[in-house]
Amino acid sequence: MHPLDQMTPNERMGAMFAGEPFDRLPMMPFVISYAPRVLNQTQRWYRASAENRAECQIAAYEKWGHDTMVIEYSLHGVPHALGSTWTDPENALPAIDEHLLKDVDDVDKIDWDIDAVRKENDPWMKMNIEATERCLDKYGKEVGVSITLPGAFSAASGLLPVDKLLRAKRKKPEQVHKLLKICNEAVKLVCEEFIKVGATPFLCDPVASGTIINESEFREFSLPYTQEVFKFCHDIGGGCGYHICGDTTKLTQAMSESGCDMLSVDDAVDLSYVKGVCGDKLPLIGNVSPNATMMLGNREDIYRNIKENLKQAYDSPCGYIIATGCDIPLPAPIENVDAFMDGVRELAKYPLDPAKWE
Amino acid sequence: MAASKEELIEKLYECVVEMEDEDVVDVCNEYLDAGYNAYDGIMDGLVAGMNKASELYDEEEYFVTDVLLCSDALYAGLEILRPHLDADESMGEAKKVVIGVVEGDTHDIGKNLVKIMLETAGFEMYDLGRDVPLDAFVEKAKEVDADIVAMSTLMTTTMSGMGTVIEKLQEAGIRDRVKVMVGGSPISRKFADEIGAEGYSANAVEAVAVAKELVGLE
Ligand code: B12
Repeated sequence: MHPLDQMTPNERMGAMFAGEPFDRLPMMPFVISYAPRVLNQTQRWYRASAENRAECQIAAYEKWGHDTMVIEYSLHGVPHALGSTWTDPENALPAIDEHLLKDVDDVDKIDWDIDAVRKENDPWMKMNIEATERCLDKYGKEVGVSITLPGAFSAASGLLPVDKLLRAKRKKPEQVHKLLKICNEAVKLVCEEFIKVGATPFLCDPVASGTIINESEFREFSLPYTQEVFKFCHDIGGGCGYHICGDTTKLTQAMSESGCDMLSVDDAVDLSYVKGVCGDKLPLIGNVSPNATMMLGNREDIYRNIKENLKQAYDSPCGYIIATGCDIPLPAPIENVDAFMDGVRELAKYPLDPAKWE
Repeated sequence: MAASKEELIEKLYECVVEMEDEDVVDVCNEYLDAGYNAYDGIMDGLVAGMNKASELYDEEEYFVTDVLLCSDALYAGLEILRPHLDADESMGEAKKVVIGVVEGDTHDIGKNLVKIMLETAGFEMYDLGRDVPLDAFVEKAKEVDADIVAMSTLMTTTMSGMGTVIEKLQEAGIRDRVKVMVGGSPISRKFADEIGAEGYSANAVEAVAVAKELVGLE
């Protein structure tokens, strides 16, 4: 446990969900692909083995004592296991290289085997499960492990190029639903694998963002699938978080109907608005600007951004977790991440004192 | 009775706005069969329809998908009408734009919209795709004798590549022959000025006005 805290992350999160008092607000800056920076390692090294992945997350947690470790199953894990290929850059995140499907009708030509995502069949999954186990073996008693994985819509865009997916959604909606259903079954298996070892799935769906699809499309092509995944997680005894990057203001109500246990929004969204829409239903997570503040700002900017967020959301009825809006960009100075953690410990200590935020 | 030219032009316009990429083919054929002028059909029908679609996107009436589908109807129509342009009426010497998403970034939805809008405005587009090696912008610009190099990125981590391309254009000795335009969510006017890019816009609709101004079209 971090020397400046009075509770472990598990105790703190437990208290938050139970509505009991705790020492400071929980914080979950997205120390995801950023973690190898702590050990001065590259992204490729970080992707190379379960040991490496776990080592980076453990080192980051030991340094900062934030409220979750994160294993990055990645947005592209599902499409990759199902047959798309991805790139392997030395110091950046992989991107889809060749999409498995060239046309939405190809969905009928493939002999889909969704078990391909299982750890027996997918080395990437196996490595991430092992990394999760290593993290939990070491610190599971005090802190949880979250898993980033794609929602069905983003997974589908890794199998079929996004412009084709978008067109097909209008021209051949039934084919798109077929593809989404396949993706969703795979997503559920991924959740199951991770819940079995004691981690919490965190579903990310950037391609379902509000600048790409509108609310009615979201309600038709994304929400029902996400609801099914979250219900599945709960049925097998797991929890689940939900995040969409970018401006999701107009999707807030719909996202809050997904059944997730926590909702995370990007810095393009006003937290007080989200609080008004659904703060009485679930804990909110957000949203210090990853770019303007974490990467380009200094300590003062970070404190200012945390204060703004606190003013907007500290009194959200079901709880508030301070976080960055999205992944911390790789070039962000490590001192800025230090400053984030210091800022939260200083400004969000209980009892909360709004006078400190002026 | 055969439809009048105005009626058919109105129909072409509607086909694009209403995303009718099959009907548009029939209307184009009917239009040609009636002996009407291809250039007018393109400009007052198809292109005007696409401009309306851009307007609706700007007003958030239309979304990305709508714009993509409108552009499908536009292209389907152009394919039929273009071969019937009179030689002297061809769309003129079109200005050439090389466009792509800079190396390290694969976000291409925004770039595709910019490409569609510029194409509609009469630019000849050379699309290098996503994650484009920086040298490729320069090579393509040289090869096609481009008027504009347009670069897109959504990631702060890859923005600096845009400045590098400008330096490379300089080294290749063609900087004074091309204008450079940049865009994408982390890009600002200020950043564009810093790296010495002449053009910047926050969205695809404005990108057209910027491009036209850069090449002295308006
Ligand atoms: C959809 C999306 C994705 C999709 C992309 C699908 C695709 N084929 O494009 C997927 C899931 C693949 C994806 C992946 C990743 N993403 Co992403 N993604 C987004 C999201 C949610 C929306 C982007 C979008 O398409 N918007 C809609 C279009 C229409 O808008 P636009 O692109 O801005 O374009 C308009 C204008 O900018 C302008 N414009 C654009 N280009 C140009 C060019 C010129 C010349 C001009 C004049 C104008 C112009 O006109 C356009 C139309 O009006 C953004 C969030 C955001 N705030 O933007 C994050 C975001 C861009 N992604 C981000 C990240 C970090 C990633 C990943 C690294 C995530 C990860 N951890 O794996 C990977 C990157 C992989 C790689 N190496 O490329 C970050 C980037 C942060 C940073 N470092 O700067 C963002 C900002 C999210 C965030 N808040 O942190 N992502």
